[in-house]
Amino acid sequence: MKKEKVVGLEGSFAVSEAVRMANADVIAAYPITPQTHIVERLSEMVAEGELDAEFICVESEHSAMSACVGASAGGARVFTCTAGQGLELMHEVLYIPSSMRLPVVAVVANRALSAPLSVWCDHSDMMAVRDIGWIQMLAENNQQAFDLTLCAFRIAEDNEVLFPTMVHIDGFHLSHVIEDMRLPDAEEVAGFIPDYKHPFALDPDKPVSMGCYGPPFIYPETKRAQEVAFEKVMPKILETWKVFGDRFGRYYAPVEKYRMGDAKIALLTMGSYSETAMLAIDELRAKGEDVGLIRLRLWRPFPFKEFREAVKGVEVLVVLDRCVSFGMGGPVCSEVKSALYDQQKKPHVVGFIGGLGGRDIPIEGFEYMIQSALEKVKAIERGEEVETEMIGIRE
Amino acid sequence: MEGGYALYTMTKKKEETDLFVPRLVTTEENFAPGHRACIGCGEALAVRHVCKALGRNVIIVNATGCIEVFSSVLPQTSWRVPWIHTIFENVGAVVSGIESAYKARVRKGKIPDKNVKFVGFAGDGGTSDIGLQALSGAMERGHNFLYCCFDNEAYMNCLPSSSLIMTEEGLKRIIELKKGEKVYAFDQKNHELVVKRCEGVFDNGTREIYELRTLHHQIEATPNHPFLVLKRSGRGRENELMWKILSDIRPGDMVVVLKDLGEGEPYKFDPIRKTVVGDYKVTHVNEIELPAGTSPDLMKYLGIYVGDGWTRVKKGEIGFALPEGTEERNALIQLHSDIFGNSIGREDEMYVYINSVNLAKFIDHLGFGSGAKDKTIPGWVFTLPKDEKESFVAGLLLSDGYKTGNSSRYVSASKELLKRLRLLLQTMEYRVGKIHLQRKERGTVCVDRTLLKDAEWGAIAFSKRNAWNTEKYLSQYKYQNFLIESEHFEMEEVKEVRAAGKEPTFDLHVEDAHNFIADGVVVHNTGIQRSSSTPYGAWTTTAPVGKKSIGQATWKKNMPEIAVAHKIPYVATACPSYPFDLMDKVKRGLEIEGPAYVHILSPCPTGWRSPPELTIEIGRLAVETGVFPLYEVINGEYRLSFDFTDLKPVREYMKPQRRFRHLTEDVIEKIQARVEEEYAKLREKAGVK
Ligand code: SF4
Repeated sequence: MKKEKVVGLEGSFAVSEAVRMANADVIAAYPITPQTHIVERLSEMVAEGELDAEFICVESEHSAMSACVGASAGGARVFTCTAGQGLELMHEVLYIPSSMRLPVVAVVANRALSAPLSVWCDHSDMMAVRDIGWIQMLAENNQQAFDLTLCAFRIAEDNEVLFPTMVHIDGFHLSHVIEDMRLPDAEEVAGFIPDYKHPFALDPDKPVSMGCYGPPFIYPETKRAQEVAFEKVMPKILETWKVFGDRFGRYYAPVEKYRMGDAKIALLTMGSYSETAMLAIDELRAKGEDVGLIRLRLWRPFPFKEFREAVKGVEVLVVLDRCVSFGMGGPVCSEVKSALYDQQKKPHVVGFIGGLGGRDIPIEGFEYMIQSALEKVKAIERGEEVETEMIGIRE
Repeated sequence: MEGGYALYTMTKKKEETDLFVPRLVTTEENFAPGHRACIGCGEALAVRHVCKALGRNVIIVNATGCIEVFSSVLPQTSWRVPWIHTIFENVGAVVSGIESAYKARVRKGKIPDKNVKFVGFAGDGGTSDIGLQALSGAMERGHNFLYCCFDNEAYMNCLPSSSLIMTEEGLKRIIELKKGEKVYAFDQKNHELVVKRCEGVFDNGTREIYELRTLHHQIEATPNHPFLVLKRSGRGRENELMWKILSDIRPGDMVVVLKDLGEGEPYKFDPIRKTVVGDYKVTHVNEIELPAGTSPDLMKYLGIYVGDGWTRVKKGEIGFALPEGTEERNALIQLHSDIFGNSIGREDEMYVYINSVNLAKFIDHLGFGSGAKDKTIPGWVFTLPKDEKESFVAGLLLSDGYKTGNSSRYVSASKELLKRLRLLLQTMEYRVGKIHLQRKERGTVCVDRTLLKDAEWGAIAFSKRNAWNTEKYLSQYKYQNFLIESEHFEMEEVKEVRAAGKEPTFDLHVEDAHNFIADGVVVHNTGIQRSSSTPYGAWTTTAPVGKKSIGQATWKKNMPEIAVAHKIPYVATACPSYPFDLMDKVKRGLEIEGPAYVHILSPCPTGWRSPPELTIEIGRLAVETGVFPLYEVINGEYRLSFDFTDLKPVREYMKPQRRFRHLTEDVIEKIQARVEEEYAKLREKAGVK
């Protein structure tokens, strides 16, 4: 019999609970909206003795990630969290744990980037860090925020993985919203997350040199080694999610499908909007339309196999991006297209950009995207060029 | 010192050292030999001392910089203790992470407590500039760690100090330039010659240099220096110019060079103070009328002077080595009377003399140099009208040159003269070949004269360029030579790019155009990273190097004081020239609970341009002159490690370092005053009366 509690928790607190149960050793973070509640809750836990960890109150996000790198190299289980501008300030240091195989776990409360200043959610911050060798996954509700954070520790610290991992929760939509969720028993969790031991942690008894200098004669080899190692990550993620599901009853997959059955039209979303999108799909299905929803749970490594599997038989794929890649459209859409390029049979892909800087997309917004995508496909078939449309803009 | 005595003391010292030192210091090397630091590197020495004091039970965090580069080239490492490097500016934060990890894991019973120590290493930039925030945060949070700053004052780079720059006031050596001066630049949009303000000159230390050679130009620069190169866009399409760094340039690439500086103006001389009767010991002066500005005749006269003349100002004598009966002597005599309105003083078989103290002063003042080997062409000649420049060249040819067919040849013992003449000719639509060096033994006949001793000569050959036949071949030329319609610039094919050793380097910053003309080639100015650290004043790194300028001087950011202001329990300064003091301080810093900061002056022969064997000496001088005093601050209490009631003059510290050589007396005076003032303040803090 599983011992678990049903509680109402804010997304930030759900994440903090996960960190507490994972028994992190070192936390280094700098507060930034909308991640602030996580930092506050964690420092409270440390102060109250609920969590036995060193909380380093750093003076910037750059130092937060640097301290995490040091702590992780010193053999500790390490956690940090940030958002938007904070993630950008960390950027330089983010490359270090991924190249030096240090399993730092970070939660990012996704936030738009200045200018103009916006503290609200979109995915610009996470797209800016997609190519640097971190594992990136997205939660769409508070339960997932908790579950994925727990899994992140187990995945990152697996000695065959040893890559830093980022769990993305949408700022405000998750971080500041209270939902009911299931909180497992701490002992159960302890059984799920094994004790962590980095194979080459800094230790005067076994000296190692980390982060040496790589002139051209050896640099490419180190990058190749990193790439080879990163290729081994996917099976470990799948394995961890399977074990998690068996233990706690909630199963995750890199690409999750909703009412995809025989769908000819599919909508693709990431993060919290997936829930609104589900409602839209329900309404359209009720009207008898052949639509379904695909949610990307895992963003890096990109789940090519699972994604191609999911769109089999789909004729029109509608992709929503919450970020603009200026001069290029939406980053998710272009990656999806490249994932399909080599396929013999592939759907038409129509990209939309929406929900920037916290702008809401109501159910009708999703319905509009699907309708207008069908129009655009007709135009494409006529040989016309179709641009990525930004929805919900007041002209 | 006499060799024998030196050898005696050295052997003696070595004996003593071998006897006593192992009893004082461990012989264990945790910073292994075989690293790749430069010869005489004070930083490597300091690291070695520090590591001896640290022992084995430490974890070291290292910032990007010399130490990391010379000690950890994959797949090797010099570190026998655990060591980590991540980036340039975060050592404080990484150390705090490691220390926290250790504390947490010990507390949670995951590892036994072995009293491990945590140490950060960084250079001056990684500490006091970009890394200051992380260090300040770590000190403020009170982590238990020791931070060592190895201060070697290193900077970035660009053109060697010998580079010659085209300015509105003529040709200048890059180190003669000052902020605010006008330099010629290439307007990339209209392909025109423009004049831009120089916004700063930077001394970038000794760097590796490459040489780029085209048929008519050669220039040295650091491998990262950008040049303007032609990008062919294919037939039928417009070609473009783009910037390419020197190490990416290949033979066959076309670079933009200057071909014509346009019409100039006669130069007005600064009046000299003439000697008159009544001056000290002067009873008689040969009257002479001195011209106020240049003229074709005067330039021709000076051309002959550069080849065959000399001045002795004290004696009041000008002389020319022109054999009797030659065309040159006749020409000179004629010119002399035309210009100065009087006749030659004395003549003999070989020489012509003029006795006039004022003429000697005048010519000396013009800046052509006096000995055969150091004759040169002063910068102002480049600003003259074309006909005056031509007369000057004609004068040169009369003395030390000759013509064969269309081409002329000029011979000189002064390399500088040849280099400048080559550039001068290139502003006058001449094509000039490279400088050929040759050695001649005594007795050989060279330009009609027998050499009296062994000599080294250089020669260049040049000829007027033929006009392009644009009517006939316009499109073909256009393809070959993108800038064919430009009056002032053209493209030249790169023949060779090769490494040319190490040299002191400088760079300019030029407004708007961001380029300038060095050695006749258009080059880009690059961004400079200034280091805010040099004992009491970054005057060496950021000050425009000029005759009277301490204009941009910023005094050193006093890092130890900044550390003290954080109220940390231990701050010290140290120097590898005082190894025992250094090791003591490191040990003290390590033992004290909480943050400790040790600032170590690490002489860098490469950057300071000092002889590698003087590293220890220079470190000592830094301390003995008060430039870098050694002291400790324990819980806010100052204590001088060495006190000097009589400081040596800072001049002694600066003398062996070529990076200071441009400083004038009044600047040194200023530094001296500042050093004394700071030293007095320090003594006061330490309570020394
Ligand atoms: S001498 Fe200077 S440049 Fe050379 S390794 Fe030492 S600190 Fe670096």
